[in-house]
Amino acid sequence: MKPEAITSLVARRAFLRKIGRAATCAGAIAGAGAFGVMQKAAAKSVPAPSRGSFPTPDYDWTQHRWGFGVDATKCIGCLRCVEACKRENNVPADAHHFNTWVERYVYLEGETKARIDSQSDPQNIAASGSEKQYRFDNRYQAAKVEKAFFVPKLCNQCEHPPCVQVCPTGATYRTQDGVVLIDSKYCIGCQYCVQACPYGARYFNVRTRVSQKCYWCYHRITKGLQPACVEACPVGARIFGDRNDPQSPISLFIRNNRVQVLRPETGNAPNVFYVGIDKEVG
Amino acid sequence: MEYIAELAPFTGYVYPNETVIPWTVLIVVYPYLTGLVAGAFTVSSLYQVFGMQRFKPVAHFALLTSLCLMLFVPVPLLLHLGHPERAFNAVITPHVTSAFAVFGYAAGFYVILLMLESWFVFRPHIVLQAQEEKGLPGWFYRVLSLGSYDLSEKAIRYDQKWIFALAVIGIPAAHGLHGYVGFVFGSLKSREWWSSDLMPAIFLFSAVISGTALLIVLYVLSCRLRKIPVDLECVKGLAYTLWGFFMFTLVLEGVEFASLVYRGREGTDVIMEYVAGPLLVPFFILQFGIGSLIPLALLTFMIWRGTTGRALIAGVTASAVLVLLAVLMMRWNVVIGGQEISKTGKGLLAYSPMIFGRESLLAAASVLVAPLAFLLVMVRLFPPWADAASYYASQPRDKR
Amino acid sequence: MPKHIVRLVILLVASGAIALIAKWFFTAESFYQYGHYRADSVPEIAAQKPVFQTPRYCQSCHSERHAQWSANNHKTVSCEVCHGAAQGHPQEGKLPIPADTRKLCTLCHEAMPERPRTQPQVALAQHSGGQQCVVCHNPHAPKLAGVVAKVAGDAAAGNRKHAASCASCHGAAGISPNDTWPNLAGQNAAYLVRILAAYKSGDQTDVMMSPMAKTLSDADIQNLAAYYAGLSCQAAPGEGRVGDAAAGKALAKNCAACHGETGIGSNPAWPKLASQKAGYLVNALKTFRAGLRRDPMMAGVTRGLSDADIAKLAAYYAAQSCEPVTQARKTQ
Repeated sequence: MKPEAITSLVARRAFLRKIGRAATCAGAIAGAGAFGVMQKAAAKSVPAPSRGSFPTPDYDWTQHRWGFGVDATKCIGCLRCVEACKRENNVPADAHHFNTWVERYVYLEGETKARIDSQSDPQNIAASGSEKQYRFDNRYQAAKVEKAFFVPKLCNQCEHPPCVQVCPTGATYRTQDGVVLIDSKYCIGCQYCVQACPYGARYFNVRTRVSQKCYWCYHRITKGLQPACVEACPVGARIFGDRNDPQSPISLFIRNNRVQVLRPETGNAPNVFYVGIDKEVG
Repeated sequence: MEYIAELAPFTGYVYPNETVIPWTVLIVVYPYLTGLVAGAFTVSSLYQVFGMQRFKPVAHFALLTSLCLMLFVPVPLLLHLGHPERAFNAVITPHVTSAFAVFGYAAGFYVILLMLESWFVFRPHIVLQAQEEKGLPGWFYRVLSLGSYDLSEKAIRYDQKWIFALAVIGIPAAHGLHGYVGFVFGSLKSREWWSSDLMPAIFLFSAVISGTALLIVLYVLSCRLRKIPVDLECVKGLAYTLWGFFMFTLVLEGVEFASLVYRGREGTDVIMEYVAGPLLVPFFILQFGIGSLIPLALLTFMIWRGTTGRALIAGVTASAVLVLLAVLMMRWNVVIGGQEISKTGKGLLAYSPMIFGRESLLAAASVLVAPLAFLLVMVRLFPPWADAASYYASQPRDKR
Repeated sequence: MPKHIVRLVILLVASGAIALIAKWFFTAESFYQYGHYRADSVPEIAAQKPVFQTPRYCQSCHSERHAQWSANNHKTVSCEVCHGAAQGHPQEGKLPIPADTRKLCTLCHEAMPERPRTQPQVALAQHSGGQQCVVCHNPHAPKLAGVVAKVAGDAAAGNRKHAASCASCHGAAGISPNDTWPNLAGQNAAYLVRILAAYKSGDQTDVMMSPMAKTLSDADIQNLAAYYAGLSCQAAPGEGRVGDAAAGKALAKNCAACHGETGIGSNPAWPKLASQKAGYLVNALKTFRAGLRRDPMMAGVTRGLSDADIAKLAAYYAAQSCEPVTQARKTQ
């Protein structure tokens, strides 16, 4: 053979050997990968159990449509709801994170704008003596009060929630029975939802490092109980029920009253209905 | 109880959950970085797409700068996330109604585009180094060359076509990438200070000027370090670009502010109180006065008088530094400023940043400096200078 | 096409494919089942254990208390609001009985202009002089038993009955001749009706009064009450141990909510104490304290009184004028 032919033959063989080695390595990796993928494919192709009654065997979310009412003419500002909620739902025990809260509106004689404060106001925290216990101080007891009232607030579980809209991962979502929940195992803690909520209902939990908010005590309502705040309220300022049932407290509340929602112009269509709020409540 | 650093004292009435400020200084740095990316890329495309030869000295440098900054863009976000290990959830199951989810894909696309364009632009150098260098650097360049040392005319022509195509696609990609940041704020219904249709445009145009300004500063600096004369035509071109986009940016910002005040919707009383009070220093003095009026006046004067030479370089560089400050303050005033006005429209909060910690001034400064340090390394690996030969040969002293 | 372009394209396509496969691989199992979220998180949330148990849970062991609570005004106040959440109770121990009721009860009942008028509210300082609420109020049946009895008697008939049955002990004009038996002149009619009816029915027992009351008809009781209420109560103030009256004044602040500052109260269901016989008052307080004279409220207020305290209080009230004080002038 010609020397050039031999050289090229040698080169070709060397090249083929190299290729062969590379191919074997690649093949091994590809094979392992493919095996893993096939396992996953097998798992995924098993049809999701026709879930039947979801989320629990005793509770079918397609049968319920939850609603919440607030009668601000009854609220006495005792804040038992706020403390009950904190106890029930692992809300951080300080004055900066609340699933639900109460606002106080006071119009003094001669003033056109309301003086507004909540239980987080430093003066009120001083009056209660602790960041874990709440009470409104009595700063207006000697003042000429023209009109004053309390307004409990909580997540409105909107029909078109802006928080769900902005969540990048799908960690927050609306259930079929009308509650907006947070999947705390999936949330990445970007806090976009906290920014998007016009009502200030959401916050970032520093300990769990995910977002959190009122969820109408979903773990209670799916067991036939009421949310903790509704249970705690001594004067019936909070009303809860199933709007699918025309005789439920909430259905009666909506039917028998002229109800309002907060910030209707945002287009969120909230599901917390207020009676007895005023022009400045937003 | 963990110390909540972002606890904000307030006046008036704010929602109880607002007393902790969610987005802090890291979220100020993030749009600033993406803005620099978009701006640097725009300058690069002035040469690559629009064929403006005067920008040749900075074109490839701009591209490399854009790439270096882009690689660091996810860092402030990851530092801010509650669960950065789950960050990929936004890519695995992107919720397409969310601007953040779209960012995951837009940024991924754009990073690949930048890497591709840079690869094509620096391919001659890579091939050269692959053939000449030994050891680890040699191996590095050989991998990058994908095993092909083809620098024939045909190959170069292909490369040029790819560069052009990538640069053309890159313009809307870069602007979309940064415009969406404006959309993140502008699309929200919850804050009057943010909610505006003009937000994406404002962010975009201020991005272009910040990128241009950064390039001016870095280019002049690099010329000093390399001891070569600054290309006056290039600097003049950059000054024109900066000046033109700057005026338009100011118009947009002015129009938006005027609309806010004129409409007088819920919260405007508080906005005016805020602007006249706590916002006085960051907005009127820093962003507007020092950061906008001075460079605008300076640039207008120099362009009108046809300044050239050392004076031009000094003046343009000074303007560029001030513009960089202005754009940083603009991001601050949008992100932090927007959160200092309560969603109730009846209260104001005060944010004071931490010096040390995860979301602190030190972290923000590091995130800003790191890409520049990385750039320093990258210009060694991929020299972007049009006068590349001079980089290797020993230099006569600068005779100027 | 040049080699490097081909290899680049292959690299890009391969990376893309790997990325897509990775995306599919890492997507959680239950995602997309009902929407853009992990469906498994719904049952996870629903499975959390409730902390508050509701009063129905308390009823199973505390049935008597529950019955009392649900028959009275606080039936809208859940047990756990005051006692804390019942999760883990009784396995993990008792639930607290609130100690500082002043702090607890004022959360709802402190008088604030922002509260609806329908809410019962008091200014604590004026209402109880700083005492704990449970001194007078049973939290499970908070409304005080100051039910005002109906008084519609005939004073003239009462006069005749009095002269026949009562004057020998209680005095011709309703002013008792000795320190032990109480003055009746000017006493609240409603109180007299209540107490006589109690003696008659056996709710209260007294060695003297029980057999006496049993001989009275309901009409007699009404008439007597009307008669005594109309009598003038002038007694000589200053009887008894004058020296203790000043100390008694301080203690009497705690009684003012029901009995008035000087022993003339606003609610006719409760007796006037002003210028009452000191000895009688001492005995009455002691028997209240011992539970021999039955009244849950009086039992509460007297529990903490020492004999010395009782003596001081008796001296103070005995020294008061029984005419209502119309000016701010106080008598000693």
